[in-house]
Amino acid sequence: MSEEMYEDDEYDGIVKKFMYVNRKAPYGTIYALESLEVVLIGAAFDQDISLAFMDDGVYQLKKDQDTKATEIKNFSPTYRALEMYDVEKLYVSKDSMDERGLTEDDLIVPVELVSAEKMSDILEEQDVIFSF
Amino acid sequence: MKFAILVNEGPYTHQAADTAYHFVKAAIDKGHEIYRIFFYHSGVNNGTRFTSPPQDDRDLVQNWSRLAEEHNVDLDICVAAAQRRGIIDKDEAERHGKDCHNLAPGFRISGLGQLIEGGIQSDRMMVFGD
Amino acid sequence: MILHTVNKSPFEKNTLISCLKHCKPGSSVLLIEDGIFAALENLSDWTEEIAAEIAQTEEIKMSENHWEVVTFLRDYYDEFQIAPAVRVLTKAIGKKFGKEKGNSKYLYELFPYGPAKQACKIAGLPKPTGCI
Repeated sequence: MSEEMYEDDEYDGIVKKFMYVNRKAPYGTIYALESLEVVLIGAAFDQDISLAFMDDGVYQLKKDQDTKATEIKNFSPTYRALEMYDVEKLYVSKDSMDERGLTEDDLIVPVELVSAEKMSDILEEQDVIFSF
Repeated sequence: MKFAILVNEGPYTHQAADTAYHFVKAAIDKGHEIYRIFFYHSGVNNGTRFTSPPQDDRDLVQNWSRLAEEHNVDLDICVAAAQRRGIIDKDEAERHGKDCHNLAPGFRISGLGQLIEGGIQSDRMMVFGD
Repeated sequence: MILHTVNKSPFEKNTLISCLKHCKPGSSVLLIEDGIFAALENLSDWTEEIAAEIAQTEEIKMSENHWEVVTFLRDYYDEFQIAPAVRVLTKAIGKKFGKEKGNSKYLYELFPYGPAKQACKIAGLPKPTGCI
Protein backbone atom coordinates (compact mmCIF):
# COMPACT_ATOMS: atom_id res chain seq x y z
CA MET A 1 0.00 0.00 0.00
CA SER A 2 1.61 3.27 -1.05
CA GLU A 3 1.07 6.60 0.63
CA GLU A 4 1.45 9.96 -1.00
CA MET A 5 2.46 12.82 1.27
CA TYR A 6 1.61 16.39 0.35
CA GLU A 7 2.75 19.74 1.67
CA ASP A 8 0.54 21.22 4.38
CA ASP A 9 -0.61 24.11 2.20
CA GLU A 10 -1.14 22.02 -0.95
CA TYR A 11 -4.91 22.39 -0.86
CA ASP A 12 -5.07 25.99 0.38
CA GLY A 13 -6.48 24.56 3.59
CA ILE A 14 -9.56 23.09 1.93
CA VAL A 15 -11.09 20.74 4.47
CA LYS A 16 -14.12 18.78 3.35
CA LYS A 17 -16.33 16.34 5.18
CA PHE A 18 -15.63 12.88 3.74
CA MET A 19 -17.98 10.02 4.53
CA TYR A 20 -17.29 6.36 3.82
CA VAL A 21 -20.50 4.32 3.76
CA ASN A 22 -20.19 0.58 4.38
CA ARG A 23 -23.20 -1.64 3.74
CA LYS A 24 -21.68 -5.02 2.97
CA ALA A 25 -20.37 -7.84 5.12
CA PRO A 26 -16.62 -8.56 5.03
CA TYR A 27 -15.04 -11.50 3.15
CA GLY A 28 -18.00 -12.46 0.93
CA THR A 29 -16.90 -9.56 -1.25
CA ILE A 30 -13.82 -7.35 -1.26
CA TYR A 31 -15.61 -4.06 -0.71
CA ALA A 32 -15.05 -3.93 3.06
CA LEU A 33 -11.29 -4.46 2.77
CA GLU A 34 -10.72 -2.13 -0.16
CA SER A 35 -12.94 0.53 1.41
CA LEU A 36 -10.77 0.44 4.53
CA GLU A 37 -7.69 0.87 2.33
CA VAL A 38 -9.14 4.10 0.92
CA VAL A 39 -9.81 5.35 4.45
CA LEU A 40 -6.20 4.73 5.46
CA ILE A 41 -4.77 6.52 2.42
CA GLY A 42 -7.36 9.29 2.72
CA ALA A 43 -6.37 9.90 6.34
CA ALA A 44 -3.15 11.51 5.13
CA PHE A 45 -5.06 14.36 3.51
CA ASP A 46 -6.23 16.00 6.74
CA GLN A 47 -9.90 16.02 5.80
CA ASP A 48 -12.84 15.65 8.19
CA ILE A 49 -13.46 11.91 7.96
CA SER A 50 -16.39 9.79 9.14
CA LEU A 51 -17.30 6.17 8.58
CA ALA A 52 -20.86 4.88 8.47
CA PHE A 53 -21.77 1.23 8.94
CA MET A 54 -25.27 0.07 8.06
CA ASP A 55 -27.08 -3.07 6.92
CA ASP A 56 -24.55 -5.91 6.68
CA GLY A 57 -21.70 -3.41 6.97
CA VAL A 58 -22.00 -3.65 10.76
CA TYR A 59 -20.49 -7.13 10.51
CA GLN A 60 -17.19 -5.57 9.44
CA LEU A 61 -16.68 -4.45 13.03
CA LYS A 62 -17.62 -7.70 14.71
CA LYS A 63 -15.20 -9.10 17.30
CA ASP A 64 -13.66 -12.58 17.13
CA GLN A 65 -13.36 -12.96 13.40
CA ASP A 66 -11.51 -16.18 12.55
CA THR A 67 -10.80 -16.54 8.86
CA LYS A 68 -8.19 -19.29 8.98
CA ALA A 69 -10.31 -21.86 7.21
CA THR A 70 -10.99 -19.52 4.30
CA GLU A 71 -7.34 -18.51 3.94
CA ILE A 72 -8.54 -14.92 3.53
CA LYS A 73 -6.63 -12.37 5.59
CA ASN A 74 -8.49 -11.32 8.73
CA PHE A 75 -8.25 -7.56 8.44
CA SER A 76 -10.58 -6.65 11.32
CA PRO A 77 -7.66 -5.65 13.62
CA THR A 78 -6.96 -2.80 11.20
CA TYR A 79 -10.12 -1.01 12.38
CA ARG A 80 -8.37 -0.60 15.73
CA ALA A 81 -5.58 1.35 14.01
CA LEU A 82 -7.97 4.00 12.68
CA GLU A 83 -7.70 5.97 15.89
CA MET A 84 -3.96 6.44 15.24
CA TYR A 85 -4.85 7.89 11.84
CA ASP A 86 -7.18 10.39 13.53
CA VAL A 87 -10.19 8.62 12.10
CA GLU A 88 -12.44 8.52 15.12
CA LYS A 89 -15.97 9.14 13.90
CA LEU A 90 -17.50 5.73 13.38
CA TYR A 91 -21.29 5.82 13.11
CA VAL A 92 -23.16 2.54 13.27
CA SER A 93 -26.85 2.09 12.45
CA LYS A 94 -28.70 1.00 15.58
CA ASP A 95 -31.47 -0.51 13.47
CA SER A 96 -29.00 -2.67 11.56
CA MET A 97 -27.42 -3.84 14.81
CA ASP A 98 -30.81 -4.69 16.32
CA GLU A 99 -31.89 -6.55 13.18
CA ARG A 100 -28.80 -8.72 13.54
CA GLY A 101 -28.97 -9.18 17.30
CA LEU A 102 -25.76 -7.24 17.90
CA THR A 103 -24.76 -4.79 20.64
CA GLU A 104 -21.83 -2.39 21.04
CA ASP A 105 -20.08 -5.06 23.10
CA ASP A 106 -19.91 -7.26 20.00
CA LEU A 107 -17.84 -4.69 18.16
CA ILE A 108 -14.09 -4.45 17.94
CA VAL A 109 -13.84 -0.64 18.33
CA PRO A 110 -15.77 2.08 20.14
CA VAL A 111 -18.49 3.47 17.90
CA GLU A 112 -21.46 5.80 18.06
CA LEU A 113 -24.76 4.01 17.57
CA VAL A 114 -27.18 6.25 15.71
CA SER A 115 -30.82 6.14 14.71
CA ALA A 116 -31.77 6.24 11.05
CA GLU A 117 -32.78 9.85 11.48
CA LYS A 118 -29.47 10.85 13.06
CA MET A 119 -27.63 8.93 10.34
CA SER A 120 -29.49 10.84 7.64
CA ASP A 121 -28.63 14.13 9.39
CA ILE A 122 -24.97 13.14 9.38
CA LEU A 123 -25.13 12.14 5.71
CA GLU A 124 -26.66 15.49 4.76
CA GLU A 125 -23.70 17.32 6.32
CA GLN A 126 -21.15 15.57 4.11
CA ASP A 127 -19.35 17.08 1.13
CA VAL A 128 -18.05 13.83 -0.35
CA ILE A 129 -19.76 10.47 0.14
CA PHE A 130 -18.10 7.23 -0.90
CA SER A 131 -20.29 4.17 -1.08
CA PHE A 132 -18.49 0.90 -1.67
CA MET B 1 -19.97 22.15 -12.14
CA LYS B 2 -16.82 20.12 -11.64
CA PHE B 3 -17.44 16.39 -11.26
CA ALA B 4 -15.18 13.66 -9.95
CA ILE B 5 -16.31 10.16 -10.91
CA LEU B 6 -15.65 6.87 -9.12
CA VAL B 7 -16.28 3.65 -11.09
CA ASN B 8 -16.28 0.60 -8.84
CA GLU B 9 -17.25 -2.18 -11.25
CA GLY B 10 -15.76 -3.73 -14.35
CA PRO B 11 -17.25 -3.71 -17.84
CA TYR B 12 -20.31 -5.82 -18.73
CA THR B 13 -20.90 -7.71 -15.48
CA HIS B 14 -22.47 -4.65 -13.90
CA GLN B 15 -24.26 -1.83 -15.66
CA ALA B 16 -22.31 0.61 -13.46
CA ALA B 17 -19.55 1.21 -16.01
CA ASP B 18 -22.15 2.00 -18.69
CA THR B 19 -24.08 4.33 -16.40
CA ALA B 20 -20.87 6.15 -15.48
CA TYR B 21 -19.89 6.50 -19.13
CA HIS B 22 -23.29 7.88 -20.15
CA PHE B 23 -23.32 10.23 -17.18
CA VAL B 24 -19.91 11.60 -18.11
CA LYS B 25 -20.97 12.12 -21.73
CA ALA B 26 -24.20 13.86 -20.66
CA ALA B 27 -22.29 16.07 -18.22
CA ILE B 28 -19.78 17.08 -20.89
CA ASP B 29 -22.59 17.81 -23.35
CA LYS B 30 -24.17 20.11 -20.77
CA GLY B 31 -20.94 22.03 -20.39
CA HIS B 32 -19.79 20.58 -17.07
CA GLU B 33 -16.22 19.68 -16.30
CA ILE B 34 -15.07 16.17 -15.52
CA TYR B 35 -12.17 16.65 -13.13
CA ARG B 36 -11.16 13.00 -13.03
CA ILE B 37 -12.52 9.49 -13.48
CA PHE B 38 -11.11 7.04 -10.94
CA PHE B 39 -11.44 3.28 -11.27
CA TYR B 40 -11.42 1.16 -8.10
CA HIS B 41 -12.35 -2.40 -7.04
CA SER B 42 -13.19 -4.35 -10.18
CA GLY B 43 -13.60 -1.03 -11.98
CA VAL B 44 -9.91 -1.35 -12.86
CA ASN B 45 -10.97 -4.00 -15.38
CA ASN B 46 -12.30 -1.21 -17.57
CA GLY B 47 -8.65 -0.53 -18.36
CA THR B 48 -7.57 -3.73 -20.08
CA ARG B 49 -7.03 -3.58 -23.81
CA PHE B 50 -7.47 -7.36 -24.19
CA THR B 51 -11.26 -7.39 -24.44
CA SER B 52 -13.02 -8.53 -27.63
CA PRO B 53 -16.72 -7.99 -27.05
CA PRO B 54 -19.25 -9.20 -29.64
CA GLN B 55 -19.44 -6.84 -32.57
CA ASP B 56 -23.15 -6.17 -32.23
CA ASP B 57 -22.70 -4.77 -28.75
CA ARG B 58 -20.95 -1.73 -27.32
CA ASP B 59 -17.18 -1.78 -26.76
CA LEU B 60 -16.85 -0.30 -23.29
CA VAL B 61 -13.06 -0.15 -23.13
CA GLN B 62 -12.92 1.61 -26.46
CA ASN B 63 -15.60 4.02 -25.27
CA TRP B 64 -13.42 5.02 -22.33
CA SER B 65 -10.30 5.38 -24.48
CA ARG B 66 -12.19 7.52 -26.97
CA LEU B 67 -13.55 9.67 -24.14
CA ALA B 68 -10.00 10.27 -22.89
CA GLU B 69 -8.81 11.17 -26.36
CA GLU B 70 -11.69 13.42 -27.43
CA HIS B 71 -12.28 15.24 -24.16
CA ASN B 72 -8.93 14.99 -22.42
CA VAL B 73 -10.46 13.23 -19.42
CA ASP B 74 -8.18 11.63 -16.80
CA LEU B 75 -8.78 7.90 -16.49
CA ASP B 76 -6.98 6.87 -13.30
CA ILE B 77 -6.67 3.26 -12.18
CA CYS B 78 -5.83 2.43 -8.57
CA VAL B 79 -2.48 0.64 -8.51
CA ALA B 80 -3.34 -1.60 -5.55
CA ALA B 81 -6.66 -2.76 -6.99
CA ALA B 82 -5.00 -3.20 -10.39
CA GLN B 83 -2.20 -5.35 -8.97
CA ARG B 84 -4.78 -7.64 -7.37
CA ARG B 85 -6.65 -8.05 -10.63
CA GLY B 86 -3.86 -8.09 -13.21
CA ILE B 87 -4.16 -4.72 -14.90
CA ILE B 88 -0.65 -3.49 -15.53
CA ASP B 89 1.27 -0.96 -17.58
CA LYS B 90 4.76 -1.40 -18.94
CA ASP B 91 6.49 -0.14 -15.78
CA GLU B 92 4.43 -2.32 -13.48
CA ALA B 93 5.07 -5.34 -15.72
CA GLU B 94 8.83 -4.80 -15.49
CA ARG B 95 8.69 -4.13 -11.77
CA HIS B 96 6.79 -7.33 -11.04
CA GLY B 97 8.46 -9.55 -13.64
CA LYS B 98 5.35 -10.07 -15.76
CA ASP B 99 5.76 -11.10 -19.37
CA CYS B 100 3.41 -8.50 -20.81
CA HIS B 101 1.27 -5.48 -19.99
CA ASN B 102 -2.34 -4.74 -20.87
CA LEU B 103 -3.28 -1.16 -20.08
CA ALA B 104 -5.71 0.31 -22.61
CA PRO B 105 -5.01 3.68 -24.28
CA GLY B 106 -6.02 6.71 -22.26
CA PHE B 107 -5.74 4.99 -18.89
CA ARG B 108 -2.93 5.44 -16.40
CA ILE B 109 -1.97 3.56 -13.26
CA SER B 110 -2.34 5.88 -10.33
CA GLY B 111 -2.91 5.95 -6.57
CA LEU B 112 -5.83 6.37 -4.19
CA GLY B 113 -4.50 9.82 -3.43
CA GLN B 114 -5.85 10.89 -6.81
CA LEU B 115 -9.32 9.74 -5.75
CA ILE B 116 -9.17 11.75 -2.52
CA GLU B 117 -7.79 14.76 -4.36
CA GLY B 118 -10.68 14.43 -6.81
CA GLY B 119 -13.07 14.65 -3.89
CA ILE B 120 -11.33 17.72 -2.52
CA GLN B 121 -11.05 19.64 -5.78
CA SER B 122 -14.38 18.80 -7.41
CA ASP B 123 -17.83 20.14 -6.61
CA ARG B 124 -19.47 16.72 -6.62
CA MET B 125 -18.23 13.12 -6.38
CA MET B 126 -20.42 10.63 -8.23
CA VAL B 127 -20.05 6.93 -7.37
CA PHE B 128 -21.11 4.15 -9.74
CA GLY B 129 -20.92 0.62 -8.36
CA ASP B 130 -22.58 -2.57 -7.23
CA MET C 1 -28.74 18.13 -0.49
CA ILE C 2 -27.69 14.62 -1.28
CA LEU C 3 -28.54 12.79 -4.46
CA HIS C 4 -29.28 9.20 -3.48
CA THR C 5 -28.98 6.63 -6.26
CA VAL C 6 -30.56 3.18 -6.05
CA ASN C 7 -29.52 0.59 -8.61
CA LYS C 8 -31.02 -2.58 -7.17
CA SER C 9 -34.51 -3.96 -7.64
CA PRO C 10 -36.55 -3.79 -4.42
CA PHE C 11 -37.46 -7.41 -5.07
CA GLU C 12 -33.79 -8.43 -5.02
CA LYS C 13 -32.21 -6.45 -2.17
CA ASN C 14 -33.20 -4.09 0.62
CA THR C 15 -31.24 -1.24 -0.94
CA LEU C 16 -34.27 0.96 -1.65
CA ILE C 17 -35.71 0.47 1.84
CA SER C 18 -32.35 1.25 3.41
CA CYS C 19 -32.04 4.34 1.23
CA LEU C 20 -35.51 5.64 2.06
CA LYS C 21 -34.79 5.20 5.79
CA HIS C 22 -31.94 7.66 5.43
CA CYS C 23 -33.65 10.27 3.26
CA LYS C 24 -34.78 13.67 4.38
CA PRO C 25 -37.79 15.57 3.01
CA GLY C 26 -36.62 17.25 -0.15
CA SER C 27 -33.92 14.64 -0.82
CA SER C 28 -33.64 13.33 -4.35
CA VAL C 29 -33.65 9.61 -5.05
CA LEU C 30 -32.62 8.59 -8.54
CA LEU C 31 -33.61 5.08 -9.63
CA ILE C 32 -31.05 3.72 -12.09
CA GLU C 33 -30.23 0.34 -13.61
CA ASP C 34 -32.24 -2.35 -11.77
CA GLY C 35 -33.59 0.27 -9.38
CA ILE C 36 -36.21 1.22 -11.97
CA PHE C 37 -38.34 -1.73 -10.91
CA ALA C 38 -39.15 0.19 -7.75
CA ALA C 39 -41.13 2.55 -9.96
CA LEU C 40 -43.88 -0.04 -9.93
CA GLU C 41 -45.62 1.69 -7.06
CA ASN C 42 -47.24 -1.39 -5.72
CA LEU C 43 -47.76 -4.92 -6.91
CA SER C 44 -51.35 -4.24 -7.91
CA ASP C 45 -50.11 -1.76 -10.56
CA TRP C 46 -48.97 -4.68 -12.67
CA THR C 47 -50.40 -4.93 -16.16
CA GLU C 48 -49.61 -7.22 -19.05
CA GLU C 49 -47.98 -4.28 -20.82
CA ILE C 50 -45.62 -3.77 -17.89
CA ALA C 51 -44.91 -7.49 -17.81
CA ALA C 52 -44.07 -7.44 -21.51
CA GLU C 53 -41.67 -4.54 -20.93
CA ILE C 54 -39.97 -6.28 -18.03
CA ALA C 55 -39.74 -9.41 -20.20
CA GLN C 56 -38.02 -7.36 -22.88
CA THR C 57 -35.35 -6.14 -20.47
CA GLU C 58 -34.88 -9.80 -19.49
CA GLU C 59 -34.55 -10.61 -23.22
CA ILE C 60 -37.52 -12.97 -23.10
CA LYS C 61 -40.06 -13.13 -25.91
CA MET C 62 -43.38 -13.80 -24.21
CA SER C 63 -45.23 -16.76 -25.71
CA GLU C 64 -48.51 -18.37 -24.69
CA ASN C 65 -46.48 -20.77 -22.54
CA HIS C 66 -44.76 -17.86 -20.79
CA TRP C 67 -48.08 -16.15 -20.05
CA GLU C 68 -49.46 -19.45 -18.76
CA VAL C 69 -46.76 -19.53 -16.09
CA VAL C 70 -47.00 -15.82 -15.26
CA THR C 71 -50.78 -15.99 -14.88
CA PHE C 72 -50.41 -19.09 -12.76
CA LEU C 73 -47.90 -17.33 -10.49
CA ARG C 74 -50.16 -14.32 -10.00
CA ASP C 75 -53.18 -16.51 -9.20
CA TYR C 76 -51.07 -18.48 -6.74
CA TYR C 77 -49.89 -15.27 -5.07
CA ASP C 78 -53.45 -13.97 -4.88
CA GLU C 79 -54.51 -17.09 -3.06
CA PHE C 80 -51.53 -17.76 -0.78
CA GLN C 81 -49.76 -14.36 -0.57
CA ILE C 82 -46.44 -15.95 -1.43
CA ALA C 83 -44.75 -16.87 -4.68
CA PRO C 84 -44.23 -20.64 -4.87
CA ALA C 85 -40.81 -22.23 -4.54
CA VAL C 86 -39.59 -24.04 -7.68
CA ARG C 87 -40.50 -27.51 -6.44
CA VAL C 88 -44.00 -26.47 -5.51
CA LEU C 89 -44.34 -24.58 -8.78
CA THR C 90 -43.29 -27.48 -11.01
CA LYS C 91 -45.65 -29.87 -9.23
CA ALA C 92 -48.55 -27.47 -9.49
CA ILE C 93 -47.88 -26.62 -13.15
CA GLY C 94 -47.64 -30.31 -13.96
CA LYS C 95 -50.96 -30.93 -12.24
CA LYS C 96 -52.70 -28.09 -14.07
CA PHE C 97 -51.16 -28.12 -17.53
CA GLY C 98 -49.89 -31.67 -17.96
CA LYS C 99 -46.84 -33.72 -16.96
CA GLU C 100 -44.74 -32.56 -19.92
CA LYS C 101 -44.77 -29.04 -18.41
CA GLY C 102 -44.39 -30.11 -14.81
CA ASN C 103 -40.59 -30.16 -14.64
CA SER C 104 -37.88 -27.61 -13.98
CA LYS C 105 -36.25 -28.22 -17.36
CA TYR C 106 -39.37 -26.85 -19.08
CA LEU C 107 -39.53 -23.85 -16.75
CA TYR C 108 -35.84 -23.07 -17.22
CA GLU C 109 -36.30 -23.27 -20.99
CA LEU C 110 -38.96 -20.58 -20.70
CA PHE C 111 -37.12 -18.55 -18.04
CA PRO C 112 -33.34 -19.20 -18.28
CA TYR C 113 -32.56 -17.30 -15.09
CA GLY C 114 -35.04 -19.36 -13.18
CA PRO C 115 -38.76 -19.27 -12.58
CA ALA C 116 -38.16 -17.76 -9.13
CA LYS C 117 -35.87 -14.95 -10.18
CA GLN C 118 -37.17 -14.21 -13.68
CA ALA C 119 -40.81 -15.33 -13.96
CA CYS C 120 -41.69 -13.70 -10.65
CA LYS C 121 -40.00 -10.50 -11.78
CA ILE C 122 -42.09 -10.45 -14.95
CA ALA C 123 -45.20 -11.35 -12.96
CA GLY C 124 -44.56 -8.37 -10.68
CA LEU C 125 -44.23 -10.59 -7.61
CA PRO C 126 -41.63 -10.72 -4.85
CA LYS C 127 -39.19 -13.62 -5.09
CA PRO C 128 -40.04 -16.66 -3.01
CA THR C 129 -38.08 -16.61 0.25
CA GLY C 130 -35.20 -18.98 0.78
CA CYS C 131 -32.54 -20.40 -1.50
CA ILE C 132 -33.54 -21.61 -4.91
